[in-house]
Order: sequence, then structure tokens, then C-alpha cells
Amino acid sequence: MFERLVTRIGGSSRTVSRWLIVCMVIGFASLVLAGLSAAWLTARTQDHTSWINHTYEVELAIARANTLVEQAETTRRGYVISGQPNYLEIYRAAAAKLPGALTRIEHLTGDNPTQQASLRKMRVLIDALQGRRDRTNALVSAGRLDEARRVFVRDTDARQMPAIRALSDAMAREEERLLALRDTEQRSSVQAFYATLALAGVLLLIVAIISVGTILRYMRDLAASRDTLRDFADSLEELVKERTADLSRANEEIQRFAYIVSHDLRSPLVNVMGFTAELEAATIAITGLIDRAEETAPDIVSEEARLAAREDLPEAIGFIRTSTQKMDRLINAILKLSREGRRVIAPELLDVEDMVSGVGESLQHMINDRNAQLIVEKPLPGIVSDRLAIEQILSNLIENAVKYLQPGRPGLITVRGSRDGARISYEIEDNGRGIEPRDHQRVFDLFRRSGNQDQPGEGIGLAHVRALAYRLGGMIDVRSELGKGATFRLSLPTSLADAATN
Amino acid sequence: MNDHRSVSIVMIEDDEGHARLIEKNIRRAGILNDIKHFTDGTTALDFMFNHKDGPALNGPALILLDLNLPDMSGTDILAKIKGDGPLKRTPVVVLTTTDDKVEIQRCYDLGCNVYITKPVNYESFAQAIRQLGLFLSVIQVPEIEGEG
Repeated sequence: MFERLVTRIGGSSRTVSRWLIVCMVIGFASLVLAGLSAAWLTARTQDHTSWINHTYEVELAIARANTLVEQAETTRRGYVISGQPNYLEIYRAAAAKLPGALTRIEHLTGDNPTQQASLRKMRVLIDALQGRRDRTNALVSAGRLDEARRVFVRDTDARQMPAIRALSDAMAREEERLLALRDTEQRSSVQAFYATLALAGVLLLIVAIISVGTILRYMRDLAASRDTLRDFADSLEELVKERTADLSRANEEIQRFAYIVSHDLRSPLVNVMGFTAELEAATIAITGLIDRAEETAPDIVSEEARLAAREDLPEAIGFIRTSTQKMDRLINAILKLSREGRRVIAPELLDVEDMVSGVGESLQHMINDRNAQLIVEKPLPGIVSDRLAIEQILSNLIENAVKYLQPGRPGLITVRGSRDGARISYEIEDNGRGIEPRDHQRVFDLFRRSGNQDQPGEGIGLAHVRALAYRLGGMIDVRSELGKGATFRLSLPTSLADAATN
Repeated sequence: MNDHRSVSIVMIEDDEGHARLIEKNIRRAGILNDIKHFTDGTTALDFMFNHKDGPALNGPALILLDLNLPDMSGTDILAKIKGDGPLKRTPVVVLTTTDDKVEIQRCYDLGCNVYITKPVNYESFAQAIRQLGLFLSVIQVPEIEGEG
């Protein structure tokens, strides 16, 4: 179930990141789009503005030309009416500027054929008008005022000024039309820009909503997964507690079983041994009778009877006796192991160096007798564990080392220890007879031994050591080569109290 | 003992073999007193408290008690005997296979007078019984309350 959860989280995170990337791309694209639109619009606006300026300029030029034409007209009229020379001067000034103004209009409206056409017409009319004006002016200058007035009236009838005005109005209106057109264009491009902005805005909004939505959903998923995980962890803890309780119960059960079995086995054993002894006593009486019968009446003593009394009975009783004794030892061993299993472990800080010296002292006799030597590589790390158990383990291992020497080689037993983080290991190395590799596990089994059986023992010691090691949260193993010696390594947690709470 | 014949020995032991061995060795120690053997607690208690020949109604006794009885726990019998009653001064020798320290303490707490573990080694066993016999031959057993 954990795996599925992990895959789901992993999967959804991939989907989320893909979505987010897509959204961010769209978002950026929208921004770029908006930017480009703004740039485009600015350019267009500039364009429009310059065109509008242009239009105004044209209008201005037209107006100026208009003014000059009107000015020329009014000054000529004045001249014609009054005959004063300063009117002529002003007229001449205006007339001189007019071509320039017209040329300017021509220049400005170079791209507009309509205006050009109008301008050409205007020019024609103005030229004609100019001719007439010059003539009237000349008349006035010559003093022929009446004639001049007559010509002037005729000119007015010819309606050239109105025609010129009409043209100039037409040109002005044309420019206005262009202006309106450009205005409309400007407005539409502004609208286009706003539309693009709006689109970009909408896109960004959508992107934002999708992103936020995706993230929110992802976070909700995460929270749900976290809750599920927490539930799992809780139920796992519950499970572990249950199992541990189960295990302890099973262990207790085994202990009780071993205890009851040993006791119930002892009872009949008492009987067997007791009545075997009674048998023995009875045999003595019978043997006594057979002896006396052999002396006094040998013919009534059959060979069978003699053998029975002298050989069969004692032999049978002997075997029964040794077997029951052995059974007694074995039952005691089981009882001891089961008692050990039920004993309460009391962790305390131990000076292992001290304890090893103590063991060495208690085995001194044996060590001396067998010509062996016990060396302790100091310092030995201390440990927080059960005193009695450690003492028993050390005592057993060192005693074994002294017991199982190689004949002909002076025994050397070394004890060393090292600490590696939360674990401590002690090694008891000897140069004795060693253990064959295939027996490395066997020697730890109850009632099992290995190699040359020349030393007393039941095969209980190492089984006891292993049971103790397990109870202390540790392990024991052996490295050995037949004929070279053996190294027993005991690995334990540095502190039993911590191991227990963990 | 007070009077060789008057003190009866009540043996509460369910294993016939053990009972026989105990009896043999007591006799070998020279004790000739009456030995009554019971294989379960109920009949033993009934005899001790109610029977006209039982210790409650007829003379002092010494009780040999095994704790592994089929119908009730030996400690219950011990409690009954040593509780307030006519037999509370009766010496009780607990003779059993268990050597559990807790059991031993409990028995002494309940008032047993001697606790002996039956050794599997027969020699030791026989010797212990013989010594018990000698012990029996020299101890004074208190009179039962209410006796003349």
C-alpha cells in the first residue's frame, strides 16, 4: 500500500509540474503578446499623430494661402478704391508670398492626387486672377482709376474669388475628411490594442486560475497523502506493539513450558533412581545368597542364576543409573535456561575489564593446571547491561577456551573489545583445538558438542551463552579453523536500556 | 517423639513410588510410628480434620506434604492446616520436587516448619529421609488443642 501511495504522489507531482510549465509558457506568451501589441500600437499612434500633424499642417498651409489670397484681394481692392500706394506694397508682398505658400501646399499634399488636382485648378484660377490684378494695379498706378474699377467689377463678376474660395474649402474639407479617417483608424487601432490587452489579461487570468487550482489540488492531495501516511504509521505502530506483545507472550509460554516439563520429568526420575537403588540393595542380598549357595550347595546354583546375579543385574542397574544421572543433568540444564529466561534483566554500568579479571581469578586454578595464559587487551570498553548475564557469558567462554586446548601447545587466551557507534563487541580468542566450519552453528545448539569428546560437559554452555546474548539484545558468533584455535565474538548494544526503549 | 506410637505421620503424596521410597527410608531410620498415606488433598484434609482417628480428634501428628497434588495446590492445604484451627501447631514438613525460591518463601510464610527438596540423586534422598526420621525421633510434637 505504501508503494501505491508513493507512486500516486510521484505521479501527481509530475502532472502538476507539467501543467505548471504549460501555464507559465502560456502566461509568458500572453505577456509577450501584450508587449508586442503595445509596441505596435505605439508605433501606429506615432504614425497617426504624424499624419494628423501633417493634416493640420496642410490645413494650415491652405489657410495661409487663403489668407494671402484674401489679403491680396483686400489690398487690391483698397488700392483700387483709394489709389494709395501702400496698399500696392502690401499687395505685392502678399502676392510674392503666395507662390511659396502654394508650393508648400503642393509639397505637403504630394501623395494626395485629389488635393493636387484641386491645387492645380486653384493655381490656374489664381494665376488668372493674378493677371487681372496686375492689370488693374497697373491701371491704378497709371492713374486710370475709373477703368481700373470697371475691370475690378468685371473681375468680381467673373467669380474667380468664390471659385478659389470654393476650391480652398474643398481642399480644407478633404483634409478634414482625411483627419476623420485617420482619427477613426487611430481609434480602431487603440481598440485593437485594448482587445489584445484584454485577451492577454484573460489568458493570464485563466493561466493564474489553472495554476492556483492545480497547486491547491496538489496541496490537498499532499495533505491527504500525509494523513494517510500518518494513519499507516499509527497502525504500523499498533501492529508492532501487538506483535511485540505476542512475542513476549510466546516467549513466556516457552519459559513456563520448559519449567513445567522439567519439573514433571523430575518426578518420575526420582522414582527411577530411587527404585534402582533399591534394586541394587536387593541385588546385594541375592548375590550374597548365590555366594553362600555356591559354597554350600553348588549344584542348586544354575549358570543362569549365577550370571544373572553377578553380571546381568549389576550391568543393567549400572546403565539405568548412568542414564538417569544424565537425564538429571539435562533436565537441570533446561531448568536453568528457562529460569534464566524468566529472570528480570537489570541494566547497569559495568566495568568489563574488572569482570574479566574476576573470571580469570576464579579460573586461575584451572588455567595453571593446564599450562595456559589469559591476556586482557586493555582498555576494554564498558557497557550498560545485566551484570549476571555478562558474567555468565564471559565465564563460560573463557572456561571453554581453557578447556579445549590443543594438546602440545601452551594455551593463550586473549580477551579484547571495541566499540563501534551504538554497538560494542568483545572477542575471546584462543589458540586451542578449534571448531570445524560445519559445526560452527551446531556448537550453539543445546546438548550438542563438536570434535574430540575428551572433556566433561553436556553441550549446555554455548546454548546458554547464546540465549543470554539474545536476551541482552546482542549476538554471538565464532570464527575458527580446526587445529588453529577459535575466536568467539560477542556483539551487544552499548546501552541495554536504550535498546529496550527503542 | 513424645510417645513413639502416639504421634502419627500423615503423608500427603500423590506419586506412589515416592511414597513407597519415603516410607521405606523412614522405617530404615528406625521410626515405627503409624504412617497414613493419602494421594490427594481432599481425602487427606477430610481425614485430618474430620475422621475420628485423624489428628484433629485423636492425638498429635506430623505431616509430610508434597506440593504437586492433583486436586488442589499443596500451598492451599498448608494454609488450611496452618490457619486458625485445631491443627495449626502441627509440624509440617514440605517434601517436594520444586526448588523454586519463591515457592520456598511462600511455604515458610504460610507457616511450614521445614522445606525439603527431593533430590533426584537417590542416595541424597534416602539420606535426607533417614535424617528426617532421626529428626522425627527427637522432636517434640505439640499437643493438639482441646485435648485432655
